[in-house]
Amino acid sequence: MQRDDTPISKKKFMEELYRYKKGSVSRRHFLGVTGLGMASAVMGAAVPGLRPLPAFAAGDIGDRVILATWPNYHDPANFDAFTEATGAHVQVNVFGSNEEMLAKLQAGGSGWDVYVPTNYTISTYVAEDLIEPLDTSRLPNYDATAYDPRFAEAGSVDGTLYAVPKNWGTTGLAYNSKHTDGVKLDSWKQFFDITKESFSGRTMVHDYQLTTIGNALKYFGYSFNSVDPAELADAEKLLLEVKPHLFAISSDYQPAMRNGDAWLTMCWTGDGKQMNTDMPEIEFVLGKEGGELWSDYYAIPKGAPHMDAAYALINFLLDPQVNAKEVLAHGYPSADAHTNALLPAELLNDPILYPAQELLSALEFGAAATLTDPNRAELMARFKSA
Amino acid sequence: MTQRTRNLLLLAPAGTWFLVMLIVPLTVVLVFSFGERGASGGYVPAFTLEQYANLPARWAAFKNTLMLAPIGTFAALVIAYPLAYYLAVLASPKWKTMLLVLVIVPFWTSILIRSYAWIFLLGGRGIPALLELIGIEGVRLINTPFAVLVGIVYGYLPLMVFPIFVSLDRLDKRLLEASSDLGATRIRTFLQVTLPLSLPGIATGSLLVFILLMGEYLIPALLGGGKVFFVGNALVDLFLQSRNWAFGSAVAATLVIIMLISVTLYMRLISKLGAQREDVSLM
Amino acid sequence: MRLYSIFVYLFLYIPIGVIAVFSFNAGRHASQFQGFSTQWYGKALNNPFVMDALQTSLTVAFFSALCASLFGTMAAVALQGIKGPVRTLFDGLIYIAVMIPGIVIGIATLIGLVTLFDLVNPAIAAIWPEGAKPPQLHMGMGSLIAAHTMFTMALVVIIVRARLAGMDRSLTEASSDLYATPMGTFRQVTLPMILPGVLAGFLLSFTFSFDDFIIAFFVAGSETTLPIYVFSSIRRGVTPEINAIGTMVLAASLIMLITAQILLRRGEKRKS
Repeated sequence: MQRDDTPISKKKFMEELYRYKKGSVSRRHFLGVTGLGMASAVMGAAVPGLRPLPAFAAGDIGDRVILATWPNYHDPANFDAFTEATGAHVQVNVFGSNEEMLAKLQAGGSGWDVYVPTNYTISTYVAEDLIEPLDTSRLPNYDATAYDPRFAEAGSVDGTLYAVPKNWGTTGLAYNSKHTDGVKLDSWKQFFDITKESFSGRTMVHDYQLTTIGNALKYFGYSFNSVDPAELADAEKLLLEVKPHLFAISSDYQPAMRNGDAWLTMCWTGDGKQMNTDMPEIEFVLGKEGGELWSDYYAIPKGAPHMDAAYALINFLLDPQVNAKEVLAHGYPSADAHTNALLPAELLNDPILYPAQELLSALEFGAAATLTDPNRAELMARFKSA
Repeated sequence: MTQRTRNLLLLAPAGTWFLVMLIVPLTVVLVFSFGERGASGGYVPAFTLEQYANLPARWAAFKNTLMLAPIGTFAALVIAYPLAYYLAVLASPKWKTMLLVLVIVPFWTSILIRSYAWIFLLGGRGIPALLELIGIEGVRLINTPFAVLVGIVYGYLPLMVFPIFVSLDRLDKRLLEASSDLGATRIRTFLQVTLPLSLPGIATGSLLVFILLMGEYLIPALLGGGKVFFVGNALVDLFLQSRNWAFGSAVAATLVIIMLISVTLYMRLISKLGAQREDVSLM
Repeated sequence: MRLYSIFVYLFLYIPIGVIAVFSFNAGRHASQFQGFSTQWYGKALNNPFVMDALQTSLTVAFFSALCASLFGTMAAVALQGIKGPVRTLFDGLIYIAVMIPGIVIGIATLIGLVTLFDLVNPAIAAIWPEGAKPPQLHMGMGSLIAAHTMFTMALVVIIVRARLAGMDRSLTEASSDLYATPMGTFRQVTLPMILPGVLAGFLLSFTFSFDDFIIAFFVAGSETTLPIYVFSSIRRGVTPEINAIGTMVLAASLIMLITAQILLRRGEKRKS
């Protein structure tokens, strides 16, 4: 779709991003120039992506659509609005790991219409023929040029578009500062060390091999994505050492953090933002050794039973007005310039959503190999069963 | 139509059902257990003993299950027995049915919802907060083997109470009177008369609970915080996370074999115990 | 002893009481009581997915209990008059079906049926007329009903056989001596005797299927039963909606139980 009034060209965006990464421009400058920041708020109003919703007559797309996604990742009010506009109810199924999503799709007959895979898994879905190529003419709200390419490029495999960006974020750590005697945590080394000592019985790690093993690898300064047997052996030793000191192994850490049972957890951006907003003593930081940078996508599984509703839902959620409400509710940054144009400046300058450059550049995207690597899967199983 | 043909016809639907839904699936599990994991999960045909050789990787899960299943069964028995005894022997007949029904009612709520109640009760704002009020601090209950044990006992108590109640209820109360008339102490009466007579109930209840515990997934998943790992949890991970169907099949086959052996041995033992006492009819 | 029993009853009912109390919580979070409200009941009843899940659960429970009690009773009656290898075979099958943990039944059914469908689906497509879309077998309500039926059928056979074993054989002999047809004997003599067993088997099967999570977790395909919905909600971070659902299910069971008791009492009174 040709758009000549986009705020910034792809090439220009890349240049700016590169400058930003090098650190030669400030974040504010970067956000401003690229249209990701408050400076674009004015522009935003003129952008064609902000057209009103296409109206559906009730019943056009069926009465339901099934979405497989992650915990605390949507604004329920948006689903109500979708139901009101289209007559289709949204059923939300939540998952704790990409492996679980893949397994469910591989077993067949998942019944999902839309799901939310993470960047590094999409090539596997394509290889396994489990994902539907997207027809952009059915997604009028999707403006490819408006996205930060870093968080959009994994959606295309061999030139075919399979998935459109939802949100991006980081995997850091969240801790309850009431229990640290003023000490600020900022590394995976501290995360595991303090767990063995004063935080014994208070720490949670994800029930997700990518982040749990990945962050244990970062403790030693190895790559987050390592599949090297010697490095994995070190990570396993560390994980087995801390296991008796863990509160739980679970990707659903918000309830325990909020009620005070857990003091420290591996944490995704938006969960960190949500908890920090309600309870300022819960702080979210990135490990200075690095960790995961990720981007999630909307995609349609092969043979989705309600294809029309699937396109309608994705298109609805991509609408910048809707998407901005989503971001305000869940606290995960969007890579869509039109959406960001609608967000308040405080949010766009929030250090949880947009970490400082030197921290961001230490992060790695997950690698496709980790998803299907049998050694990492077995390591995780040994850790859990020990 | 001869009687035999008619009987076979009557058996046909059940037989077909067992064939398609039991024999075929179990055969597939057995076949898969000798296969290999595909590159991105699933199953690739092969003939290898690799999966069975890899079983020690799940030794911890088997160990947890083989320890917590008998302990849980025993704990449920210890808690259930006095209640069953009270209901069968001591409670007034007027209230008996009512009280018995009250034991069974919780069993009618989904085990999920009942375990979920314990997540709250054992969590920081539940019992530990109450203990803090009386000065006991720092107690952690949720996500421990103890929490799993509480969930198990809570979940399966009715299954234990009911059979024991039935066997005690059948017991002729005059036996107890005779025993005490003959000068036996209450403890002696209990050990020599009541307990042996309730053995069939104990056997049935324990077997039911034990079988369910061997395949337990939910209670450790909800109350163990992912740290208390049963074979059931290992199986769910193998099929729903790492998609290693071949190894998962080997673990499942091993679990079934362990159960076949332990349950058969258990039944032998019980019937031997029963045979020593002619007056006890079993199950 | 009485005190002990009171303690056990408290142990049994405090968690249920907590669920019920928090179902009236005005707040969103399940762990802090923030005032009285019945809003979660309204939310649960108006949530189409809760209603869908309930309907799925009821449908699966009804049909699996129906199939199980029908085929199970047929098998139990036939097994009375059969000896030799067929009987040994069935005894073995029933023993295995009852003894195998639910999770293994779930897994075996999943990979067994997926393998079977992979073989059958291309065959159907091959013989299907050109142009028409061939039907695809897949995991779903059918496979769930079939799996539940397999397990509960074994329970029904056990229950009905126990009933048949306690039956006075001379009655059926007398009936056939009086030249009643085998069908007549069954209708007039056997059926009335085993009917309570069949009904008990039906109810037990229904309850089992309605409560089952682990088998459904593997074989339900895209269907969502009530336990699956509840499990997914517990993971999502719970709102008191789950408490409301749990309380309603419990209340419904209680009402059913009490009604059954009253009906039974009346029946007995009329007899005497």
